[in-house]
Amino acid sequence: MSKTVQRSISGQKDSAASSIRITDDDLYRHSTQYRFWSFTPERLAQIRSDVNARVTTKTQLDMKVFLESHPNLTQDELAAIKVKAVPVSPHEELLLVNYFARMILSFAGKMNLPTEVAATAVSFFRKFFLSNSVMEFPPKEVFHTTLFFACKSENYFMGVESFAKKAKTSADAVLKHEFKLLESLNFTLMNHHPYKALHGFFLDIQNVLSGKVDMKYMGQVYTNCKKSISDALLTDAIYFYTPPQITLAILLTEDEALMMRYMQLKFNLNVDTSSANGQKEFKQEDPSAINAERLLEIIKSCQAVIEEKIIPAKDDAVKITAKIHYSQNPISVIDRLKRQREASSEAATPTPSESEVKRQKT
Amino acid sequence: MLSQPEYSKEKKVGEGTYAVVYLGTKRSSNRRIAIKEIKTSGFKDGLDMSAIREVKYLQEMQHVNVIELVDVFMAQNNLNLVLEFLPADLEMVIKDTSILFTQADIKSWLLMTLRGVHHCHRNFILHRDLKPNNLLLSPDGQLKIADFGLARNMGSPQEFLTSNVVTRWYRAPELLFGARHYTGAVDMWSVGVIFAELMLRIPYLPGKDDIDQIDVTFRALGTPTDKDWPEISTFSAYNKIQIYPPPSREELRRRFIAATENALDLMSGMLLMNPHKRLDPIQCLTSEYFLELPEPTVPSELPTLKKNT
Repeated sequence: MSKTVQRSISGQKDSAASSIRITDDDLYRHSTQYRFWSFTPERLAQIRSDVNARVTTKTQLDMKVFLESHPNLTQDELAAIKVKAVPVSPHEELLLVNYFARMILSFAGKMNLPTEVAATAVSFFRKFFLSNSVMEFPPKEVFHTTLFFACKSENYFMGVESFAKKAKTSADAVLKHEFKLLESLNFTLMNHHPYKALHGFFLDIQNVLSGKVDMKYMGQVYTNCKKSISDALLTDAIYFYTPPQITLAILLTEDEALMMRYMQLKFNLNVDTSSANGQKEFKQEDPSAINAERLLEIIKSCQAVIEEKIIPAKDDAVKITAKIHYSQNPISVIDRLKRQREASSEAATPTPSESEVKRQKT
Repeated sequence: MLSQPEYSKEKKVGEGTYAVVYLGTKRSSNRRIAIKEIKTSGFKDGLDMSAIREVKYLQEMQHVNVIELVDVFMAQNNLNLVLEFLPADLEMVIKDTSILFTQADIKSWLLMTLRGVHHCHRNFILHRDLKPNNLLLSPDGQLKIADFGLARNMGSPQEFLTSNVVTRWYRAPELLFGARHYTGAVDMWSVGVIFAELMLRIPYLPGKDDIDQIDVTFRALGTPTDKDWPEISTFSAYNKIQIYPPPSREELRRRFIAATENALDLMSGMLLMNPHKRLDPIQCLTSEYFLELPEPTVPSELPTLKKNT
């Protein structure tokens, strides 16, 4: 993807002849990543709340049916249901999805899968929950399916049996949601991850700042940034920005001074923002030229989105999973209430733990 | 995505290892289409890799010389790819001895092939199975690259690729030697062999098996030396092979009687042993061959098979 930037830059030099050529930016605009999976923040929020609303409505209908078929519930029981058996919110869905998406990364690491496979699995997993709710498909089940499917899609094939063995699950469980996954992905499987852009910039920085950067230090920058990219893939930056933009944002966070110098030389960035007339000097004669100030603005907004990362605690995930369970099985709220009553009438009540819920789930 | 009744499956036209192909109609537009129904039973590893690749890469490409994936849908737990209807392929045309080709026709087919390959490569996609049989022809004469079941992204330097790709006769020398790193140059070799086949009307390098392919290839084009391909001696198979001299220009002229000097230059450029030196799609598309007369035939005026309309 770094080529996207490089070629459109060189485009300004050979002007007329190349201006009618299709640029790499044009090609990116034809990619399914751009056409289907790039959103404005508002649109993305809308998609998430729509998915949640659809299932919430259904859950509430089910609840109505449940209450009608259980007319003899006590006030206590009704009150408990009202508090406990409620659908999860869009934000809670997001927390749970992010929790498992993060787990995919560490799990893929343990399985020694290539970085791109892990990144694709995370991408597939998050996209799956843009058309399905965690209340319909337990993330825990979709988890293995996405990882296995990502292996196949990224040309890193292993048999389902050996995958299941490594992942300590069954082949059937791994394949269970495969079709649903493919359908939810709108049959689009190509992911342009920022790792390639990082490699491109890594080489170009050495070229542009030739002799001014220490190779060993650049190697360290590269390694750190690669890790940061994996983290950024868990944020909504992937839906709002292109891979090179995400990469530049990460490089800027890693070493601002280095990147400002690079952008100065590469894109003619005017770093002296105090001099107003400096800004007027170059630009906008050639529409394909990169407006460096605008680029910096985009990169900084991307940086902000990346920094907004959500790191849900295990506790949150357990609580949300429990909530889903109760909302779909109101009878379990009553059972729990009954057990609590029995326990308290017998002896000192142990606080109901979340592990109890987990036991019911499995 | 649309549900099944939008498409009718009228006639079964083919059955491969992982798919059944039907002819049909898109009801809303009355457009003729082909439906590739991917078999799912009997694949213990879930969806087949070829099907995944085909969907993955075709979704990314919209080009007049690449087959169009019209739609994808699921029905009865089967994956269905709706493709544009293409009644013929270049192999059928080459084999039909009742059809005469002009140099302009050959130029037109080669041009369309190169445009399609260029589009794949600029999207960082390797086809890895180019052959006349996978170059389909539309009723209006357009050539379309099809069958992306072996395609993949161009590898990054640290990635290992499998050399067991491309149908034997169209396999580049680096693949014959078992290279684990290769580029779009493997596709360009295939195009070079197809170009030769268009001129000869018979397969140019028909090896009987993988060992014979090496022999046939180097007998026709000369065994590469480390002078023009320095990395060649790093392949373990290299030391065991027979050394043939490269063909002289005169020999090539005799073999390809109707070819112009520019045509021979272009073909030889695509059939260079060293993949680094082999011409890429842009070099081919801007070569002298396409600037000299005759102009390539307009697609709609290209020869077609008699039985298909």
